[in-house]
Amino acid sequence: MTERKYSVATVGLRIDGFLDATLQNAGINLKYDIQDAAPAEDDFETPDVHVKFTGPDVDLLLSNRAELLLALEHLTMEVLHMPSEDHSRISFDANDYRLLRIEELRMSAAAAADRVKRTGSYFCFNPMNSRERRVIHLALRNEAAVRSESAGMGPGRMVIVYPAGMPSLAEPPRPPEPRRDDRGGSGDRGPRRDGRGGPPRGGDRRGPGGPPRGRR
Amino acid sequence: MKQLIEDIAKALVDIPEEVAVRAVEGEQVTVLELKVAPSDLGKVIGKQGRTARSIRTILGAAGMKLNRRFTLEILE
Repeated sequence: MTERKYSVATVGLRIDGFLDATLQNAGINLKYDIQDAAPAEDDFETPDVHVKFTGPDVDLLLSNRAELLLALEHLTMEVLHMPSEDHSRISFDANDYRLLRIEELRMSAAAAADRVKRTGSYFCFNPMNSRERRVIHLALRNEAAVRSESAGMGPGRMVIVYPAGMPSLAEPPRPPEPRRDDRGGSGDRGPRRDGRGGPPRGGDRRGPGGPPRGRR
Repeated sequence: MKQLIEDIAKALVDIPEEVAVRAVEGEQVTVLELKVAPSDLGKVIGKQGRTARSIRTILGAAGMKLNRRFTLEILE
């Protein structure tokens, strides 16, 4: 287990300052609690600091696969100038979304592995962020008959599960269509030149007759 | 909403004095134009545009509460 690098004592005030101003400016009605994480949870996520949200706007926070929660988390870590390899050390959550999502990803990984073993063909997940891809890779690490690999660029990067002996695809499949709220015409150099490559909407993209979704 | 963008941008960049936000009101949409020092452009855009996308997500949520659409334009 890696050593604790961040704590409420070292980053709590800065997280609080940024969140307080941002939520207030945005008119978003949420309370939050910044806590040191318990030392050894399982190895799927081992953050140092938890930020837990409650309040009237939790639904907004978790809508669209927790888009707002993840945006606040990302911006907070950028504002704290945390290097990207540390980005799993602070975890934002509400209503145990993170835990449930990890469970969902593990079940999707198991279903994908079954399917690959059954069909002898590869399986592509929908694009996911690196933390979610990591969960898939970890969930499959003890599977001898399949292997998993990430392919694609940026927000379109996805996990592909192959039968153990199959060589990797030369080119990753095209990511799915962008989301409807991509209002386009923005000045950033995001990877959406050709109108593809929407941000990661996790979950699994099935081929024909894909595996059941990991829902409870 | 101008304040929201300004505060976030100032927290992200190295040279906060050069952060400027201008709101251009339209009938349907308010365009928020963000200017930062050229050396700070990468800080507000982020790898693969992820930071800019996160700012837009927050702006979208804030706009939803006001029933108004906001667009963030990062000027180069």
